[in-house]
Amino acid sequence: MNDDAPSPEAAVVAEKLTKRYGSLTAVEDLSFSVAPGEIVGFLGPNGAGKSTTMRILSGTMAGTSGRASIWGVSVALDPAGAKRHLAYMPENNPLPEDLRVEEYLNLRARLKDVAPDQVGARVRRVMEDCDLTRRASGRLIGQLSKGFRQRVGIADALLAEPRVVILDEPTIGLDPHQILGIRELIRSLRGKMAVLISSHILHEVEQVCDKVVIINRGRLVAQGRTEELRRELLPALAFSVATRADAPAMLAACRAADPAAEVTFLGETDGWRSYRVTLPPASPARETLAGSLVAAGIALREIAEERFGLEEIFLAATRRAPGEGRRP
Amino acid sequence: MRHFRTLLAHELRSAALSWNTWAAGGLFLALMGGIHFFALVDATRAPNARTPVEATLWFFWLPLLCVLPLLTMRTFAEERRSGTLAALLTTPASAAAVVWAKFLSVWTVWVVFWLLFTAFPVLAAQRLGGPDATRLGDPAALWGGLCFIAGSGLLHAAVGILCSCVTRSAALAALLAFICLLALTAAGGAMETLPIESWEWLGWMREPAAHLRTFGHLQDFADGILDSRPIVLYGTGTLLCLGLAVLAVEGQE
Repeated sequence: MNDDAPSPEAAVVAEKLTKRYGSLTAVEDLSFSVAPGEIVGFLGPNGAGKSTTMRILSGTMAGTSGRASIWGVSVALDPAGAKRHLAYMPENNPLPEDLRVEEYLNLRARLKDVAPDQVGARVRRVMEDCDLTRRASGRLIGQLSKGFRQRVGIADALLAEPRVVILDEPTIGLDPHQILGIRELIRSLRGKMAVLISSHILHEVEQVCDKVVIINRGRLVAQGRTEELRRELLPALAFSVATRADAPAMLAACRAADPAAEVTFLGETDGWRSYRVTLPPASPARETLAGSLVAAGIALREIAEERFGLEEIFLAATRRAPGEGRRP
Repeated sequence: MRHFRTLLAHELRSAALSWNTWAAGGLFLALMGGIHFFALVDATRAPNARTPVEATLWFFWLPLLCVLPLLTMRTFAEERRSGTLAALLTTPASAAAVVWAKFLSVWTVWVVFWLLFTAFPVLAAQRLGGPDATRLGDPAALWGGLCFIAGSGLLHAAVGILCSCVTRSAALAALLAFICLLALTAAGGAMETLPIESWEWLGWMREPAAHLRTFGHLQDFADGILDSRPIVLYGTGTLLCLGLAVLAVEGQE
């Protein structure tokens, strides 16, 4: 790490951030924080203001109002100080085409205050971490594939071992193998660096991130751990059931377990019918439903509680009105 | 000005490896070689008050307008277009360090071009000179003129850098630099030839116009006259242009 200063409570703080372009408001009253060592997914539909927020946090764009700080240093008042703790990889990952990978990383290391006697070792290490050593180190950046360019961008971000890493769509354009590699790399940063990562691949965010911040039309709509958001946004319980029983029999058996239960017929294959049974939040029937169905004489082939993924959470969060989201 | 030396070394290295620099250098040497050749031919035809070196340096405006914009056009415009300037500014390097590094890199290349040009009069004096070697080489006019070109080159390079800062198109940056440098070079001469004295409403311009006489400055330097006023003019103009360039880079979004 780049200094021995004590850790602040939050590595990244966005407080009532607002960015206006004339009459257009790109980001409004946005507040969230990222704890040291935490990996946070930053989600939102296209045009929600994710990249604008990231650019404000990285100091490449000034906000209209609000406060942004990186490792306790105000981005507006001390941009150079904030940048010493931060690495930012923008969405399109612009790189100079006419430099070789190793030359570029050497230059970036010097610009990021890596001690001169450590530059070579640090560059070699990030190149190994990002799998650049064998196939890309001596090549011109302009000749690299999209995947290797993304790796160069990530290697650059990790070069100075910053306190905070902001990655805007780091896996865009990568093949599944490369995505897995980058995911593992980001996962390995947990506890070492605070990572704010935006991605449209929700499965990936769910796999990697400790919590998510969801914005829509420039405003916060939800933030928290996936489990907390699931409880907040999708509190109903749902079960998938495969059986030979018909719909009226299923409904009667489920209503016996909980009078508020709802049954939806999904389809039939080889005589087996699939249903979704929905129960109210915290329904006691969550633990007794299978028993109630068997007691009603319904033969079950399968019953499983459906776990709403980040995709459903994202859709539920972005459907609700901006500003309804929880404040930090 | 953090990281200025790192950035300057990078810029100089990039300039040395860039096809753009080599193309500009080739154009420069072709232009100046051609002009010097014709100046030598002209000197053999009839007696001339001017030495071939003086006559050649008189055309300094030609590479200034045709070559210098080629050196400055890509400095910021290209980096803004590709986004690498924004990426550079995410490091602790300041906008001022970036501007000064690019500026000094361009100016150094410009001065190196002119130093290469000195080979023409030196070779001409050695090969063709005989008893007229001093007149052909004319070292006083040559080095005096080069001092002027290097000094005024600070302002000219700064103007080119500023033009490159305000657009994302390298071609537009080159065009802007061409127009600004043409205005800067020709303004003094134009003012001298216009009958300003007879236009009362333009009378106030006489004094500032006197300071902009670029060719007069060249003649002074070539004659060994060291006047502090053009030095102040080019120095303050350079600082003003670079200050505006820093603001333009800091304000880019």
